[in-house]
Amino acid sequence: MSSVTPDAVNKSKALEPVGPLIGPGHTFGSVTDKISGAVLTRRTPLGWFVVFGVAFTLVMILMLAVAYLFSIGVGIWGINIPVGWGFAIINFVWWIGIGHAGTLISAILLLLRQEWRTSISRFAEAMTLFAVACAGLFPLLHMGRPWLFYWLLPYPSTMGVWPQFRSPLVWDVFAISTYGTVSLLFWYVGLIPDLATMRDRAKARLAQIIYGVLAMGWRGSAVHWHRYETASLLLAGLATPLVVSVHSIVSFDFAVSIVPGWHTTIFPPYFVAGAIYSGFAMVLTLAIPIRKMYKMEDLITLRHLDTMAKVMLATGLIVAYGYMMEAFMAWYSGDPYEQYMTWNRMTGPYAPTYWALILCNVLIPQLLWSRRVRTHVPLLFVIALIVNVGMWLERFVIVITSLHRDFLPSSWGMYYPTIWDWATYFGTIGLFLALMFLFIRVLPMISIFETRHTLAREKERAALRGALPSAVPGD
Amino acid sequence: MNQLTSLHLTLNRIERRSLLVGVVGLVLGGAGFFLDRSQFFQSYLLAALFWLSITLGCLAILMLHHLVSGRWGFVIQRLLESGARTLPVMAIFFLPLLAFGLHDLYEWTHKDVVGQDELLRHKSPYLNVTFFWARAVLYFVIWFALAHVLTKWSWEQDRTGDPWLTRRLQAVSGPGLVLYVLTMSFAAIDWIMSLEPHWFSTIYGFLIVVGQALTTFAFLIIILAVLARHQPLAEVVSRSHFHDLGNLMLAFIVLWAYMSFAQFLLIWSGNLPEEIPWYLHRIKGSWQAVAISLMLFHFAVPFFLLLFRRTKREVRMLVAVAGLMIIMRLIDLFWLVVPAFQPTGIPIHWTHVAILVGMGGIWMTVFAGQLKARSMIPVHDPRVQEALHHA
Repeated sequence: MSSVTPDAVNKSKALEPVGPLIGPGHTFGSVTDKISGAVLTRRTPLGWFVVFGVAFTLVMILMLAVAYLFSIGVGIWGINIPVGWGFAIINFVWWIGIGHAGTLISAILLLLRQEWRTSISRFAEAMTLFAVACAGLFPLLHMGRPWLFYWLLPYPSTMGVWPQFRSPLVWDVFAISTYGTVSLLFWYVGLIPDLATMRDRAKARLAQIIYGVLAMGWRGSAVHWHRYETASLLLAGLATPLVVSVHSIVSFDFAVSIVPGWHTTIFPPYFVAGAIYSGFAMVLTLAIPIRKMYKMEDLITLRHLDTMAKVMLATGLIVAYGYMMEAFMAWYSGDPYEQYMTWNRMTGPYAPTYWALILCNVLIPQLLWSRRVRTHVPLLFVIALIVNVGMWLERFVIVITSLHRDFLPSSWGMYYPTIWDWATYFGTIGLFLALMFLFIRVLPMISIFETRHTLAREKERAALRGALPSAVPGD
Repeated sequence: MNQLTSLHLTLNRIERRSLLVGVVGLVLGGAGFFLDRSQFFQSYLLAALFWLSITLGCLAILMLHHLVSGRWGFVIQRLLESGARTLPVMAIFFLPLLAFGLHDLYEWTHKDVVGQDELLRHKSPYLNVTFFWARAVLYFVIWFALAHVLTKWSWEQDRTGDPWLTRRLQAVSGPGLVLYVLTMSFAAIDWIMSLEPHWFSTIYGFLIVVGQALTTFAFLIIILAVLARHQPLAEVVSRSHFHDLGNLMLAFIVLWAYMSFAQFLLIWSGNLPEEIPWYLHRIKGSWQAVAISLMLFHFAVPFFLLLFRRTKREVRMLVAVAGLMIIMRLIDLFWLVVPAFQPTGIPIHWTHVAILVGMGGIWMTVFAGQLKARSMIPVHDPRVQEALHHA
């Protein structure tokens, strides 16, 4: 036996993860009370009304912007040739990306048996749905004649209209609609056992009926649970490719063309990493205030925030690699257009957005290497906000700088967003927040039964840890 | 210690036979140098890249393991460490290549060619022999430093039982993994992409990195299956470890296919004169059969097989799939490298086999020697108990 100082034993404590997955003192009953009580019994916090009020105002602005758009046309936006893809595409890609955290958490982390996902999965899945809804708006609005959107679908039309299947924009239609459908199913199936709990606990007759109908007769029998487990595993398997495929296809929208700055082979993995990056940033942006507002700090613990921050750091590094490789290859390729595009990004009229993007997406997130920063909640919140902004800027830089100066200097131009561009963008942020806050008001924001399961596992693990001979001799 | 167990006997046997195979292979292959110098260096580059991919794959997966601490990692930690420790041998293998082979392999080292080629002149601040050498030295120094500290601290923990060392291993692994991906990406550009110096692709570094991890997972599965017949691994290695490793291999197969397809689709759809020749060299003539075999046997068949739980839990079946993957990784590497020299058809040359096998023999000798010297399980790692009991 080797000699081990007591100091080493103390040091081994530093190897423990940042706190538990569930705060101390919880039982199955208290978990259920706490999560269902947030909807059914406890008073809605003041913060909810404030955020919902602001969000609802923004939704009204969105309505106004859309009504004006439909009456006048896309000319009210800043788009023109050469920049025909303005805010609509930037915001579309931004929102789709944000949705990816939910799918990753619910599908891949479920298959990988990562238990920290339970407290945030419901929440992140809801976020996915609402983000996809916001994203889906933009191509429809951008069409100019959104009532003809069904022309994108392959159907035997008497006019002989048939989508161009070589265009990734058509692939998008399928990718996004599949994504929306699977995400909705996943979210709803995951809700069923909890809806039954809500039905059983609701006092008001109307709530009992609504939750009862939505719970589809769930009684929690062994057969129900068996079917449930099978269904959720199958859905997880189905959703796993979607984590990668959706944003890869979004990246093809750009990369299949030969526009400098768009046509580059790293786009698919780098878009996927960026999507997960922004998705986790958005989960943190929402989870941090909400856990405070609803006093959920013992269910969404520092451990969750720490782990999400690590995912952000890792995906952020992949994104940074993408920027670096693109810039290097622009030079290495020797292609004058690629070189000019990179130079124009860095020093041209939109250079401030490029450098702001580097600051937000690459430099500031390096703080996340430090455990102190990852567990410093206000700081983490600020970093998450910065990454949200950074990822939006990334799409701005990709869309605008590549289009505004392409091959022929005679066809160069500038793009300036109008007030209606901004109104529509902030309007969708309002829509997203309003939907999100309605969701936490009427549905359990954390999966009750999965949290109970995690609680059981944690207790089991603690018991095992006590029973095992410790790794450190003499401990 | 009465530890001259069946494990040691097996490792001794591997060591002896590998050494024999290695020496014979290299002597035979070395003869190729005098017969056909450029053919020799092509084969040599291929072999060096293949064995380096396992060395670096071990290093990368070791760092990944320290970061995620999955239960699959502890049973292969010593294999990974021993694999990473073969780095000095790989550095020695790379020396003749860098010293004498560049002129035979890389078009951009020819002054007259560069002088007449505007693109190559443009690239010459990066693609020149001095800088190429400097970069190669830098890559090896970084890899060696990482391999050195990661193994040193792990073995120190074996002796002292200091749990704090685990924290240090984790602290190195994060930045280490970033450094590995960066250096390997540029090494891939230098050593493989610049064989066709006009061509470029931004995903290339990722593709090579993923390929290295995939080769290594296949290799680890085979080695673990051999060693798990003996104590002490027999006691701790269970089917669920193989299941996990099989899943990881599957994940990397899918990742490889995803990236390969992305690169192909984007270059095909762009159809630009500066990009498409690379694929034309690889899908014309007899190379077409190789390209199709990659789609089938590097992706479709193993993907389908590994979807089944049984394939991953039945060790013999998993080893068979891993064997297929090793062969396909070799073919993929062959398909990446050799069409640069022979765009018209597949040249099968005996030096390809001799040098590959010879270098592999030496590699395995060093690997087995490293493995013998240490305990098979990092018993003092504070994470190991829980991980092994959960299996």
